[in-house]
Amino acid sequence: MWRLTPGQALACREWDGEAVLYNDLSGSTHLLDGAALDLLHALRDEPADAARLAIRLADRFDADGADLAGAIGEMLAALAGLDLIEPC
Amino acid sequence: MLTVGMLASAELRARLSGAGLVLRTGPFTNLIRSDVPHLIDTVALMYADYPVEPDGGFADFHLDYRRARGPRRWFRPQVHFAYDGSTPFQPLPLAQAYPMLEWTMNWCVSHRAHGYLIIHAAVLEKHGRGIILPAPPGSGKSTLTAALLGHGWRLLSDEMTLVRPADAMLVPVPRPVSLKNASIDVIRAFCPDAILSRPVEETTKGTIAHVKAPRDSILRAAEPARAACVVFPRYEAGAGLALTPLPKARAFMELADNCFNYQVLGAHGFAALGQLIDTSDAYTFRYSNLPEAMDLFERLALGAA
Repeated sequence: MWRLTPGQALACREWDGEAVLYNDLSGSTHLLDGAALDLLHALRDEPADAARLAIRLADRFDADGADLAGAIGEMLAALAGLDLIEPC
Repeated sequence: MLTVGMLASAELRARLSGAGLVLRTGPFTNLIRSDVPHLIDTVALMYADYPVEPDGGFADFHLDYRRARGPRRWFRPQVHFAYDGSTPFQPLPLAQAYPMLEWTMNWCVSHRAHGYLIIHAAVLEKHGRGIILPAPPGSGKSTLTAALLGHGWRLLSDEMTLVRPADAMLVPVPRPVSLKNASIDVIRAFCPDAILSRPVEETTKGTIAHVKAPRDSILRAAEPARAACVVFPRYEAGAGLALTPLPKARAFMELADNCFNYQVLGAHGFAALGQLIDTSDAYTFRYSNLPEAMDLFERLALGAA
């Protein structure tokens, strides 16, 4: 299970499918694609794992099944590397 | 309003070598002292249209430029800079006193004025549309800026774009435009009416000359502008004109990289830059021909590029 790292306010701006996000913990700014931002917003609503996120976001990503869960797992690992999310 | 140009030469010299000249540049007051004769003459030329504030009032920056004493007064003479009584930089050859004044005035703003988000970029305005030109040295930014000033553009700054965090408006701090090496003769030929300072050779940046800011830009220094475009220019000898849209999120990241104090301002800086990008179109721009560039910028000013 993953959750948004406490202290992250997700201050972001999105234009044309790309987003910039301010990391409240590191002070860095990240360039993200819209899908990563969707994952962060979903985890702000409630903690989830990759399989659950794949079900919730299947329509948004226009995909489903194991491939989507695998791709989401990779994105979650990358977001965790930026301290935006953490295991729970 | 008292301006530097209204002061008799002896009065200007007396102020600079005495209690100091309180010079207003945009939102800042600079208390300048100096005993370097050619620096005083160049200030008289380049800052003639700038307001002089009353003696004894508050000054944001206290700047002191003095001839070296001892042997350095005569042998390879030098100029020393002091800021608020401290000496943050090594002395320079005396002939470089005026470039030193410009560089150190920039340094004061970029290191102290954290009430603004400060982007290392030129910024101009025409027809109510502000255009920001961020670029590394050698990109032709200052040449382009000096050329645009001869075509009805208002100078907000050649070096530092001040963004007001509350509303992302661009706050002018119009000062002389710095030209390097071949650009000096390019602008002399392209803008014969431009007033240039005497070129100073063998600086760390090569030969340097400054273009006086247009009088109208100085008179309108209290009028902020709304950003309409962010244009990343690149001079490339012989290249055709090319204006290419840049996705806004990428423009945001490039601008953040070009800020002096983005990290200092934290979330406030992020919010200000986001607001600025919201109202702006972003482009990369390649050019080699100044008249073509002038035509394209006129279209940008009209919102018709």
